[in-house]
Amino acid sequence: MVNQRPDLEPFFNPSSIAIVGASPKKGSLGRAILDNLVSRYRGFIYPVNPKYIDELGLKWYSGIKEIPEPPELAIIAVKADFVPGILEEAGMKGSKAAIIISGGFAESGERGRQLQEEASNIARKYNIRVIGPNCIGVYNALVGLDTFFLPQDRMRRPPRGPIAIISQSGAFLASIMDWAALEGIGIAKAVNFGNKMDVDEVDMLEYFGWDDDIRVILMYIEGLKPGRGKDFIEIAKRVTSRKPVILLKGGKTSRGARAAASHTAALAGDYNVLKGALKQARILESDEVLDLFDMGKALANLRYPRGKRVVIVTNAGGPGVIMVDNLIRYGLEVPELSKELQEKLKSVFPPRVAVRNPVDLTGDASNEAYEKALTTIVESGEADIIVVIALMQPPVLKIELGDLIADIAWSHHNIPFVVVTMGSDIAKQLEERVEGRGIPVYNFPERAARAVYAIAHCSKCR
Amino acid sequence: MNPMEIIDKALSQGRSKLLENEAYDLLAKYSIPVPEHCLARNMEGLQACSSKVTFPHALKIVSPDIVHKSDVGGVIIGLRNINEDINAYRKIVENISRKAPGTRIEGVLVQQMVPEGLEVIVGGIRDRFFDIVVMFGLGGIFVEVLHDVSFRVSPLTYRDALEMLDDIKANKVLYGFRGMPPRDREALAKIIYGIYQLMEKHRNIKEIDLNPVMSYEHGAYIADARVIVGQ
Repeated sequence: MVNQRPDLEPFFNPSSIAIVGASPKKGSLGRAILDNLVSRYRGFIYPVNPKYIDELGLKWYSGIKEIPEPPELAIIAVKADFVPGILEEAGMKGSKAAIIISGGFAESGERGRQLQEEASNIARKYNIRVIGPNCIGVYNALVGLDTFFLPQDRMRRPPRGPIAIISQSGAFLASIMDWAALEGIGIAKAVNFGNKMDVDEVDMLEYFGWDDDIRVILMYIEGLKPGRGKDFIEIAKRVTSRKPVILLKGGKTSRGARAAASHTAALAGDYNVLKGALKQARILESDEVLDLFDMGKALANLRYPRGKRVVIVTNAGGPGVIMVDNLIRYGLEVPELSKELQEKLKSVFPPRVAVRNPVDLTGDASNEAYEKALTTIVESGEADIIVVIALMQPPVLKIELGDLIADIAWSHHNIPFVVVTMGSDIAKQLEERVEGRGIPVYNFPERAARAVYAIAHCSKCR
Repeated sequence: MNPMEIIDKALSQGRSKLLENEAYDLLAKYSIPVPEHCLARNMEGLQACSSKVTFPHALKIVSPDIVHKSDVGGVIIGLRNINEDINAYRKIVENISRKAPGTRIEGVLVQQMVPEGLEVIVGGIRDRFFDIVVMFGLGGIFVEVLHDVSFRVSPLTYRDALEMLDDIKANKVLYGFRGMPPRDREALAKIIYGIYQLMEKHRNIKEIDLNPVMSYEHGAYIADARVIVGQ
């Protein structure tokens, strides 16, 4: 097994890029890729298309061989039949990596399968690593590299952040990144590798595992390449000892039992086996797309709790109760606070405040009440994780509560904080303020509970 | 015979399923606790086997042609002495020749009846993604109806094997339940790890089903084994 960083750097940090199939035509795929690169990528860009000489203020090339230097990365977006020839040209020129955007390969019948085989042989001959075919390629916010053929007015780009995404589906990746942009969720790098002719999820997991810009890895996969399971487990075990990996599996129900010669065979559906494998590799499994990001957000600013005792501070009874139910469901503890701590809280709050856990400050709680309660609790050592529920509808609560929570959270590094706020504009304001300080916020208690589960689980996975 | 010879013999005879005595001999080489057993090829052999194996005995027909031994009267259990063994031997041979005439009979296996324990199932198969997949579950209703089993894949560590015991929903049963003793989890993990190593070493082993495995407060015993081999 490879025990060094896979050499995928030319995909994510190339010094120069050839775009084969670039086009000046508005609305074309070749134009979208070119626009995205020109607007933010700072390396050399070489559009390749024999039909053009000078368009959009760039010099165009009739072929890769005309380019004055070997482009480190070749993006190929032309008809499948031409791809092997272009790959050959890129190989002779000395390119190290190619992203084949084009479809029409193994996913589309016998002719396509042959073309892919041909392309694969050429890539091996010239030692070119390939992402694709039939993919949208790579995204690296840190250098403005983006091979997605989706224009920015259709797919917003998310802010820079600590999350990486590995997705078997291109459309899924594009749409969740657009959504992440809306939600302000920061993405460092992302990849979609389509047919996995060469680079697959295992290579990507290893590469992102080494990358210090990435603090949490989210994966959407439908299936591994046959025979790759062992590498996957070995690499994932190493990666999860450094950073959390959360995986959503598509196609859980597609295949039932095998031909049942034994009990074991009858019960070993592909998904059941994968579930066991994920546990073995300490990969967190997520069942829903939203959940993938909820957990990802919580783990992106990872603090490792010492245990699974959760203390809830709230100004609303109902959400506090729902929170408790969900935490218990995920195996967390919401212990009654010690008599001593309860007395301490009672001495500073009016009698209507419940101090057992949840600590319910009730609807007329002010910023000061939150400050007193949170400070007392973090200093007691009775909380491994703190959930703050702050419903902002009562006017007594001021928006500065966001900073207050963040200040307390940041002065207690070893206690993860999760914040819940519900509602419309004012809730959104609080959310932005708190998330701006790197503390995760959720709009519903059950979603926050999943985040707490992920945090607690990952304290075990190290 | 060493494991390779056992497997090669079965393959050369065109058998995909090891005979029960072969399966036991194979498993024993990997420190998997199999019951005392002895293959009797005739009445003389039976008398020798009978005095060698700890009572009580179960006698089982050994034939490459029989899949479900009990259905053809090929299993008699609870035998307490040599006379009962002799009667059982005659009865089994008679049952087979009546219910399954023409069946090849390798002999009759004299097997120690292992004490009742918590029945669990341990298995291993080959998988196109993960190569070796091992399975653990509690026997009977837990596996048949509730499908309460856990899986792990290669590369497997002993620690993985221990963790998969806790990964079943009914894991409390292993820790002692309603006056029943806690079970020897390490003995079970060693069996899981043992079949993993066996399959890792011998590519020709395609499936292993140990069902049931008797689990005790101290130790565990395989009570039935099915090993499938192939090229």
